[in-house]
Amino acid sequence: MNQVVFYFLSAVILVFSLLTVTSSRILRAAVYLLFVLIATAGIYFLLGYNFLAGVQLTLYAGGIIVLIIFAIMLTGSAGEKLERPSLNKFLLAILISLIGTVTSLILFFAYHSFPVIGNEIPATVKMVGASLINPGDNGYVLPFELISVLLLAAIVGAIVIAKKATR
Amino acid sequence: MVMSSENLVIYFISGIVLVGAGILVSHFFAPSSENLQKSETFECGIPTRGTSWFQFKVGYYLFAILFLIFEVEVVFLFPWAVVMKESGTSAFIEIFIFLFILGGGLLYAWKKNALRWE
Repeated sequence: MNQVVFYFLSAVILVFSLLTVTSSRILRAAVYLLFVLIATAGIYFLLGYNFLAGVQLTLYAGGIIVLIIFAIMLTGSAGEKLERPSLNKFLLAILISLIGTVTSLILFFAYHSFPVIGNEIPATVKMVGASLINPGDNGYVLPFELISVLLLAAIVGAIVIAKKATR
Repeated sequence: MVMSSENLVIYFISGIVLVGAGILVSHFFAPSSENLQKSETFECGIPTRGTSWFQFKVGYYLFAILFLIFEVEVVFLFPWAVVMKESGTSAFIEIFIFLFILGGGLLYAWKKNALRWE
């Protein structure tokens, strides 16, 4: 039954990823991307990574998509249909993706003894929290505090750039 | 807790059936009429003005980006809140430093009038 859910989610991710890159309306592409991100959160849930899934839903599906949609709506040409790419570009894109696919397949079959490792360590929110504030070994308290500095830099940067744009 | 996939599948199927059956039944039994006004975009009962494809103000973007940054902050509060009681004072001090630095960011946004709608 886990496999059924996995294949369903994978199908959703694949279909909507394709729709994202092939849609000629950019706002629709953003919404298709939303479905991709939600299905990815579903895979995290399936693996038992509840916290990661929650982060994926709130930050990526909730935050990033809103940001992308606002960025699109800022341009003022959001409703316009993109013109179809030229045949040359189309063929080049197909060629490049084929090279990527073939490379991955060669690597995959060259080392086809990928061991399947079960999810033996459950990553509960409690464990994430405990290691986040643990100052000792295996603790991440310094990165945790540095994140706040990084976010501060992001706030200042965003405001400086946006204020310059409005002036 | 890992959610069992069987329950999830049952949940999805019953959700689809419940919603789908409602739409299907009402499609067959409800009287239907089509007219020009009915197919207009609904805007709280008043006629719409212009197109919805217009350029948004840049202010929306600033608010969205600030929202996202503070959302990241909130995400880090969740795992902290779960272990707060057990860890005691050290956890409190750590989150205090975290929030203090980000509070500086909020203060900066406030002082720079980034929170004001212009």
